Amino acid sequence: MAEHHAASDGKHKASANAGGSVHGNSRPGAAGGGGGGGGGKGGLSGGLTQPAGWQSLLSFSILFLACLAGFSSRLFAVIRFESIIHEFDPWFNYRSTHHLTTNGFFEFLNWFDERAWYPLGRIVGGTVYPGLMVTAGLIHYVLNLLHITVHIRDVCVFLAPVFSGLTAISTFLLTRELWNQGAGLLAACFIAIVPGYISRSVAGSFDNEGIAIFALQFTYYLWVKSVKTGSVFWTIGCCLSYFYMVSAWGGYVFIINLIPLHVFVLLLMQRYSRRVYIAYSTFYIVGLILSMQIPFVGFQPIRTSEHMAAAGVFALLQAYAFLQYLKDRLTRQEFQTLFFLGVSLAAGVVFLTVIYLTYTGIYAKIHIPIIASVSEHQPTTWVSFFFDLHILVCTFPAGLWFCIKNINDERVFVALYAISAVYFAGVMVRLMLTLTPVVCMLSAVAFSSVFEHYMGDDTKREKPPAEDSSDEDDKRNSGNLYDKAGKVRKHVSEQEKAEEGLGPNVKSIVTMLMLMLLMMFAVHCTWVTSNAYSSPSVVLASYNHDGTRNILDDFREAYYWLRQNTDEHARVMSWWDYGYQIAGMANRTTLVDNNTWNNSHIALVGKAMSSNESAAYQIMRSLDVDYVLIIFGGVIGYSGDDINKFLWMVRIAEGEHPKDIRESDYFTPQGEFRVDKAGSPTLLNCLMYKMSYYRFGEMQLDFRTPPGFDRTRNAEIGNKDIKFKHLEEAFTSEHWLVRIYKVKNLDNREPLDHKLRSVVPKQKYTSKKVAGHILFCCFNQK
Amino acid sequence: YLNTSYIKIAEKVTQMMEWASKRSVIRMNGDKFRRFVKAPPRNYSMVIMFTALQPQRQCGVCRQADEEFQVLANSWRYSSAFTNKVFFASVDFDEGSDVFQMLNMNSAPTFLHFPSKGKPRRSDTYELQVRGFAAEQLARWVADRTDVQIRVIRPPNYAGPLLLGFLLAVIGGLAYLRRHNLEFLFNKNVWAFSALCFVLIMTSGQMWNHIRGPPYAHKNPSTGQVSYIHGSSQAQFVAETHIVLLFNAAVTMGMVLLCEAATSDMDIGKRKIMCVAGIGLVMLFFSWLLSIFRAKYHGYPYRWRQTNLYLFILFYLL
Repeated sequence: MAEHHAASDGKHKASANAGGSVHGNSRPGAAGGGGGGGGGKGGLSGGLTQPAGWQSLLSFSILFLACLAGFSSRLFAVIRFESIIHEFDPWFNYRSTHHLTTNGFFEFLNWFDERAWYPLGRIVGGTVYPGLMVTAGLIHYVLNLLHITVHIRDVCVFLAPVFSGLTAISTFLLTRELWNQGAGLLAACFIAIVPGYISRSVAGSFDNEGIAIFALQFTYYLWVKSVKTGSVFWTIGCCLSYFYMVSAWGGYVFIINLIPLHVFVLLLMQRYSRRVYIAYSTFYIVGLILSMQIPFVGFQPIRTSEHMAAAGVFALLQAYAFLQYLKDRLTRQEFQTLFFLGVSLAAGVVFLTVIYLTYTGIYAKIHIPIIASVSEHQPTTWVSFFFDLHILVCTFPAGLWFCIKNINDERVFVALYAISAVYFAGVMVRLMLTLTPVVCMLSAVAFSSVFEHYMGDDTKREKPPAEDSSDEDDKRNSGNLYDKAGKVRKHVSEQEKAEEGLGPNVKSIVTMLMLMLLMMFAVHCTWVTSNAYSSPSVVLASYNHDGTRNILDDFREAYYWLRQNTDEHARVMSWWDYGYQIAGMANRTTLVDNNTWNNSHIALVGKAMSSNESAAYQIMRSLDVDYVLIIFGGVIGYSGDDINKFLWMVRIAEGEHPKDIRESDYFTPQGEFRVDKAGSPTLLNCLMYKMSYYRFGEMQLDFRTPPGFDRTRNAEIGNKDIKFKHLEEAFTSEHWLVRIYKVKNLDNREPLDHKLRSVVPKQKYTSKKVAGHILFCCFNQK
Repeated sequence: YLNTSYIKIAEKVTQMMEWASKRSVIRMNGDKFRRFVKAPPRNYSMVIMFTALQPQRQCGVCRQADEEFQVLANSWRYSSAFTNKVFFASVDFDEGSDVFQMLNMNSAPTFLHFPSKGKPRRSDTYELQVRGFAAEQLARWVADRTDVQIRVIRPPNYAGPLLLGFLLAVIGGLAYLRRHNLEFLFNKNVWAFSALCFVLIMTSGQMWNHIRGPPYAHKNPSTGQVSYIHGSSQAQFVAETHIVLLFNAAVTMGMVLLCEAATSDMDIGKRKIMCVAGIGLVMLFFSWLLSIFRAKYHGYPYRWRQTNLYLFILFYLL
């Protein structure tokens, strides 16, 4: 909390100071060339005066404080619980990083994981984005080289908070390029604490997004820089950063579409220049080659539809540049005929391709997944926008307004970024993550323009415009010699006129209002981070009436039991949600996990869970299952348990085995899903139900409710007399959250009666045959 | 006996095929129903929709279900696998109320399957409440009951592309008419305004409305009270998103006004008014937005009033 206030206090001062000297830059005149290097920088290069020195010191300390605030507000989970990896996917990332550090990089690239997807296995090296693991491994290596001995787990836990600091810095750089230094500092402070980004980057959430947002922002910064300067140096930097992004997250597709879009719109706006040509041609070629070096990406950039826009814009840019060249060489008449010929030829080619594609149905094939994904994923309500962005969600359109009103090459970029990101965030709540940085930048622009005009008293403000105008004068004289000086003078007089207006009272009210909004924002961010985004979900906590806390550590208890008490090669069947955790914490072989690449395998597990015991036993025998692990929340009222997920298992199983599993069998005739006496008999006898409620009927949780009362579904269970034939209970955790069952071996042959002694050989023969028959059936079903 | 039943079946099948060739859903009244469905010798399955399509019955669901049923029947009728194993038919309440009485049925629409052999069982009644009346679901049920797989082919919807084409034509036409005056394409205000509209539409959750299709507002049936704000943070009403859109736009406008007041070259009185209006817009609408959020997100501890207090304290200190 202290850090936030310090940071937010600091940033206002900064923008007040930066505001004066930077003012002239927000005028459209900066569009022309290298002049837009940010007012702060101009102040520095002018750097004789004292304020410039102060300014850079202040900027530096504000940036540092922003990083610190970002880092420390992500530590709630570590302080409340411990340094632990969260959730599901991070466990896989952690496991692979561990593999990387113990066996080396090449071993990691070639890793075939035989402990997942039994009996199929999984090729890990070629199916992951290795950036995250390599980054963590590298940091661990360097630290150990310096004899700072840390465990790889701690590196993984703290990686995302550290990278959030880097994100703040790159956001500062990008915003400075777009607007001015004051806005850059504000944007850095915003991105450091905004919940939309914290949600994916708290300590312990060791996931791709944590480092990818840094790579995204840094790539955009370098891109803007290379469009501004047209130098190959910056563009190569941009490509390298893009390469890092490709290695880190599948969201790189956003970059490879946004940058071509930027170039395309620049062409439409007739803002084509040699700088754009150099930047994009270099970026496309080098970026393409670099991105193809990642094994998981491979040849996708030249094959799949989402990369085609980039190639199309590349071709268009070449054609445009060629036309420009011809324009210089040919007469107007010749050029016009050539132009029309070229355009009609191109239009004809496009038309024929479209017809061909429509005819062969490729077009639909390309477009259907996009449509399907739109309706499938979670769209975003306005509440989650407000929850994740608070005041920024209503101020960033103002920033967008200012950017479009004072448009230049790089502001075209940020406007496109905002519009495309806001669309994706509206369609899919997960993509709020890509919207957050641009919202921070544009809000910072809006706030800093307000502060610029309303902060500081009139006496102080008399100096900066004069200094500003001389500064501006210098710049103009060196850059555009033909620019008239009259314009500058007019600007000064305008400034003076503005000075006499709006008395100090109004100004201080506005400043106060803005400060209030920012304070509320900081408080909101801290509250959201602490309450919504800082739960490890591996360890649960419940609070008593007096505020004391109970830690429910059932997951780790059960996984540790598996690790200690089962054979090293035991195969554990569970629903796919827990696959990564079992592999990571218990180090046992799993059948399915969160990398849901094989639907039929998942459906087989779903079928086992939703069949009756003997049918399930056949499936489990055929899959060599030794243990079955389920999550049961009925004792403590945990709503994310397997019975609540059960209908998904049934649906997925039905998709692959429609003859054996029918969803309607699990509903009552009224169409309800009930676990009590009125529930459907199929449900009450399926394996999942029996495993969840085994011995639960004997348990009375408190005196107001009957025995066998399920707290999650608020119902007394319908089948209290559960007996197993082929399974036995192996372990149940303290709060019954995790239950593990052992799958028994095949029964011994029945002891033979005296009567049958005469026909022993025959008996033996048939039983063998039956056993063989069963196995045969199972393989058949597979 | 065998012979006669064969002849009877053959007659029936030819008759049914003739009807089916005219309409994919055969319309039946009481007589036809008794002869072709109820009377015993029969080797084809019947899938029958019992419905009430007459306007005076005011059955909106029936009409939607009828459309889906037509889609299904057409997909079957015009598929290459079409045989005389299954026929689709419908009985309207106003044409065959005696059938409704005979089957002891008192709700419409209802889908029943009459198997080629034996009596209808429990699962031959389609569970409309559970599965809905989408043609795909109906097809799965039919496949389940009769072993006839029907691939549902919906007639393509030309409305969307047509509308888009029309819109493009209008825009193109306008641009052509004003071809000597294309200034508006270079007007930054137009572009900025449309960008803002798009952003505001997205951030107020219109995409959610588009995909999930919530009601405009909720009217409590017992008290008659209309609530515009959904009580949970997981869902929203259309009215609510419009309110939020308005509030977001107002705050944005407030910010823009504040900046304009400081930079524009209008006379001082107007600028002061702009400035005060900006303050008012930002303060008022943001506080309202916050209170709606509080109403939806239970347990949110911060409110505008308590921060207002700080504001006044700060103000007096200075």
